[in-house]
Parts: sequence; structure tokens; C-alpha cells
Amino acid sequence: MCVCGSSPAARFGAIAKPRQRGTDAFVCQPRDVARAIARFAWLALWLAGAAWCQQPPAVEEILRHAIALHQAGDVAAAIPEYRAYLKQVPGNVMARSNLGAALSRAGLYEEAIVEYKKALESQPGNAPVRLNLALAYYKAAEISQAAAELARVVAEQPSNRQAIFLLADCDLRLGENKKVIELLSPLEPQSPDDKALIYLLGTALIRDEQTARGQVLVDRILRDGDSAEARLLMGATKMSVRDYAGALKDLKQAVELNPQLPDVYSYYGMALASTGDTPGAMVAFRKELESNPNDYTSNMQLGVLLKQEQNYAEARHCFQRALGVRPRDATVRYQLATLDLQEGRTKEALTELEKLTREVPAFVAAHVSLATAYYRLQRKEDGDKERATVLRLNAEKQATEPGVTGK
Amino acid sequence: MRLDRAACACLWLLPGLPFLAAAGDTACVTCHTAQTTHFRATPMAQALETVAVSDILKQHPDLAFQEGPYQSRIVRHGDSSILTVTRGTETFTVPLLWAFGRGQAGQTYVFEYNGAFYESRASFFYALGALDVTMGDQNTKPQTIVEAAGRHMSSMEARDCFGCHSAGGVSAGKLHMEAISPGVGCESCHVAAAKHADAVRAGDTSAAKLPHLAALAAEDMAALCGRCHRTWSQIALTGPRGVGNVRFQPYRLANSKCFDGADSRIRCTACHDPHEALPTNLASYDSKCAACHATALHTTVCPVGKTNCAGCHMPKVELPGAHARFTDHQIRIARAGDPYPN
Repeated sequence: MCVCGSSPAARFGAIAKPRQRGTDAFVCQPRDVARAIARFAWLALWLAGAAWCQQPPAVEEILRHAIALHQAGDVAAAIPEYRAYLKQVPGNVMARSNLGAALSRAGLYEEAIVEYKKALESQPGNAPVRLNLALAYYKAAEISQAAAELARVVAEQPSNRQAIFLLADCDLRLGENKKVIELLSPLEPQSPDDKALIYLLGTALIRDEQTARGQVLVDRILRDGDSAEARLLMGATKMSVRDYAGALKDLKQAVELNPQLPDVYSYYGMALASTGDTPGAMVAFRKELESNPNDYTSNMQLGVLLKQEQNYAEARHCFQRALGVRPRDATVRYQLATLDLQEGRTKEALTELEKLTREVPAFVAAHVSLATAYYRLQRKEDGDKERATVLRLNAEKQATEPGVTGK
Repeated sequence: MRLDRAACACLWLLPGLPFLAAAGDTACVTCHTAQTTHFRATPMAQALETVAVSDILKQHPDLAFQEGPYQSRIVRHGDSSILTVTRGTETFTVPLLWAFGRGQAGQTYVFEYNGAFYESRASFFYALGALDVTMGDQNTKPQTIVEAAGRHMSSMEARDCFGCHSAGGVSAGKLHMEAISPGVGCESCHVAAAKHADAVRAGDTSAAKLPHLAALAAEDMAALCGRCHRTWSQIALTGPRGVGNVRFQPYRLANSKCFDGADSRIRCTACHDPHEALPTNLASYDSKCAACHATALHTTVCPVGKTNCAGCHMPKVELPGAHARFTDHQIRIARAGDPYPN
């Protein structure tokens, strides 16, 4: 079974070896992939063995040839062989799943997803195939779909730690910190030294502003000496309490200790931006995106900075990538709408902003931009209504802030 | 995380301002002599100057300021003004480069240190005739001698400050100090004036056309002026809340009950000619109010007066830390003791 090592948990070797910087973020090391695919393919052979034997020899030979090519790493040649076989034997789930794996290996994730789904139509309870489907979604940056499939795998196989950690990683990327805490907390007492678990859980706690509990986990990692992972967590902790200068020091060290650590440049960029070094922040975000083009945070933050530089085309590209990772995310949708507004596509902006304000009625920024859009379209009454909403929301927010009188 | 800037002393520009290379007013003065000449005398045109020509620094050759253990002095040497901060035996000395502001409040200085711009922690205030803590820095305490000298400006903050206080220095979203022309210039508002001047010289009348700013409605004019004085959207989005926003006139005006974005009688230029100095005689504004209110019933029943409308309906508000009072542009019936409407 192919389990990619791109998730943060992989940093500690729990899932697979860490990814290589400078290559596709979601591609495992070739040797691991080959081994995993080989194991998977032989498993498929074994499971489908009886059925095979009853196939005509020519058909059987096609499949055997496809598997041999696949095992040798020649996926480009294996794919048409699998397809030729499946044309004659469309019901062979394992052959279809192998085709999915080969497509995935070739970077054709969308096509892989189609094949995995077809395989699951015949065998909906096949957890290994579903896990591979989840991985294909993950690699295609359809994180929410990946999370949905992984949740089903975990429900069927509650002790499958690979699926659990990958699900936790997806949930972290989706900003579902509480879900991660709920998923991993029960595992922590049994595996107090599992660094992958501690890292994922610690990150979720810190992002959920449960800083004290997160700090305990950071300290547990630090027991084993200074490491990029520990520095990254410490930096993230300090960021969460707005100690940007302190965070910058830790994150600089993390970058120096291991520049290939996933997310390290993303956090470093945020610390640089928060301490006023915008050009440095942009370089850092770009470095993160070189190895992980679908990183939500780097795409979002770089997009905001590019927008401020009036580089709207590149900003849009970043926001669209971020939207690919979090398709329903209100913040990135808002950024895209304001880009439309900035570039004179007022009607497009209006449609999205109206939708956003309906979905998130307390989203002040969306109401502000919506008011602007209405005024630009000469809809004064609607604009006035939005302005009144903004003033009301601001007043409500102000009333909850300690020490602010409004006078 | 925070990607915004700390509040600086001056007005604060948010992203989106399409700065283009400036033609400089020398190109404009040939044809638009009166406007250009009058504009040069306005505070906007003098919103930025080099320290070498700063009258305030010339007239005050030795300014001192004490803040806790830090002693700051700005001393004039020829065309230079040198800022020196001392604490015990520790000393930090740096030449000031730029003087921001010629408005009613005062002047803040900018210097370069380690390749970045810094906003001076002490500013000159007209009302005091002396230095005091720069607006926006009152709630911070310097931890180092460099912090006592000034606040590090991010590259974007520097771009935005110079972008509003000068012409020509910002293009494609980036600050180009080599192209800067101190003070607000013709092209700060009349974008593409350089192309216009070239087209006029070439006799190309169609290419010489510029957007007709005098035809803008109130909303669009507020957006234009708000690029530097801040728009309603910017303040609604990022604050400041409370009296701190009194100096952001487009925001305050748009909050007025009588503001109508489609009505040119309430736009910024209905009262303020940007090419001329600001009239301080309140009665001179009455005709502007009368453009709408001459026959309205409430004008005839005003129990207070028939002149100097702005004196009551646009009260002056003391801005803490600015040592100056600002006219609140939120036009309203302002009763004594009423809270600041925000």
C-alpha cells in the first residue's frame, strides 16, 4: 500500500521517510514508493489469484506484464497495460486499484481518483483502496475530500495509526484543530513518546490556543535535545501569544537546523512579516511553496503581501491555490472577492460577497467590501444598509473589549 | 498573525493606491500656472521635505527631549540635523533624512539605520514648540537605545508613508527613492499626468485626456482623497475606533446622516479646493451648507444661529497625543456631553 510521507507526522518517521525538498510535495521518496507499490501489487496478485487462474492465458499475461512494469517503476508503460486488461476484465478490483496507484505515481491524481472510486463501487469496504483514494485526494490538494475518506478508514480500522495521523494532518490543514485534539488525545497516554503524535497534537493545541497544554508537549520533544521540530513548535507557541520577536529567533534556528522541515518556512515567513520584514517574509513563503505548492498558509500570506504590492495576478494565483486546499474557506474567498473589486470586476465581487455575508453574518470585512461594491453599482440603499451593519458589528465587538469605552 | 503595520504618526495608507511615475509639477506649471503655483503653497505640497530644507529644524537648531532614562537631542549642523540619544554612557547618533508633515499638528522625522527606515520617536509639535512622543508611540516604552531613537518601519510602511507624502516614489507597488519628489504633487491625484503632458507636447489631443476629477460623485471623491486620508472602508475594517479616527475625514464624513455618495454637494471638494490653502474662516463654509439646507425647515428653526454652521455641527475634537484639535467631519447635531459618535 502506498502511504506517502508528506505529512508532518512523517517528520518523525512514523509514516514514512520525510519528503524531499525541491520535489513535488506529495511524492514520497522513489524507493519507498517502489517498495510500497510492489507490496501492494503482490498483495493484489495474491488476493485475486484464484480469479486470475480462470482467465484466458492472453489476458492473464497482460496483467502479469502490467504488474512487472509497475514493479520495475515504469508506470508510463504499466498504465496502458492495466487499461487493456481492465477493458476485458472490468470487475477486477485489485487490478483497478493497481491502475490507480500507477496513475497516482505518475502524478495523474484526478485519473487515479476515478479508478479508485470505481474499485470502491464494487468493494466499498476495502479500506486499503479507500486509504489510497484518500492519498490521491491529498496529493491533488483536495484535503477536505481526503479527510472525509480517511475518516471512513479510521471508522473501519480504529487502530490504523497511519490513517489516523494522516487524518490528523488533513484536519490541521483544514483548520479543524479541535477534531485533531479529539482524535489524538486518547492515543497520547498509550504512546507518550510517539513524536509524530506529540507533534500533531501539540500543533493542534497551540493553534487552538491551548498554549499551556501544548507547551507541555513541546517540552517533551525538547527532552531529546535541540531539534528543528522543537524549535518550530516553540516558535509557533510564541506566535500564538504574539511574541513575534521571540518566535523569530526560534524559527530562524529551526530553519538553520532543518530547512527541509515542512511548514518551517511558512512559520518563519509569518514571524518575519509580523516583525516588519516583508521582503524576507515573501522569500520565506516562496521557499515553503517551492516544496509544498499547496500550503494554505503560505499561499494566503504571500497572496496578501502580493496584493499589497499590487501584483494582483500572482496574488490571485496564490489565493486560488489556497482555495483549492480549503474550498469553503471564507477568508480566502473574501480575498478573491476583494481582488475582483480591486480589478473592477464589481459584479463578480458582489455575488461572492453577498454569499459570504449570508454564510458568515458577522464577517465585518465582507460587509465593508460589500458596501463598497453596492456604492460602485449605484445601489445607495443597499450600501447604506451594509454600512449600518458594519457600524453595528463594530459597536458590538467594541462593547466586548475590556477597557474600551468608545468615547 | 499580524500582517498589518503599527500605527504610524502620519495618516496611513492601505493597499491599493495606484501610484505611477510623476511628471513633476514643472511639466504642469507651463499650462496650469495658477493651480500649480497656488498648490505649491499648500501644506499638502509640503507634506514631506528633506531635512536640509526643513524650516522647523532651521528655526529650532537645538531640540531636546527626555523620556525616562533616554535623553534625545536634535542638533543642527549646516544643512544637517543630527539625532543623538544617550543613556548613561551609551550613545546612538544618526543623521535625520526626511521631515514628514507641515499640517496643523507637527513634524516627524525619518532616518536610515542598518538599511531600513526608522520613524523618529520624538516629533516636533507646533502647539508645544518642542519635541514630544510621536503619535501612535505613546503606549510603548523603548527597550533599547535604538528604539528610543525611532521605530523600525517595514518596507511596506515606508512605501505607504512616502507614497502619500511625496510624488513619483512608488511604482508597481514598490518604493523607489531615486524617483521621489517630496510633497504631494499634481500626479498624486491626477494619475497619468506625465502621459498627459507628453501627449500635449506631441499634439495628441485624444491621448491627452485625463479623468475629469471635478465630475466625481461624493463616494468616488472620498475614495480618491481617502487613498491618503483613508476611506470609510479602511477605518471600518481596521480602525482606529473612538476619537483616534477623527483625523480620517473621509470616514467621518461618510458617517454623516446627510452623506449621499451620489450627491456632489457633499463631496470633499465641495468645501475644500485641493489647489488652495485651507480657509480657516468658518463663515466661508456656510454657503456650502446652504447648497442643501437653505430652504430646509430645520435650518429656519435652528435655535443657535444662522451662520458658522460648521462651528457647531462639525465640532473640533482634541486628539490625544497630537497636541492639536481636529475638525470632526461627521456632520451632526452635536450636543454638549454627547459621546464621540463612532
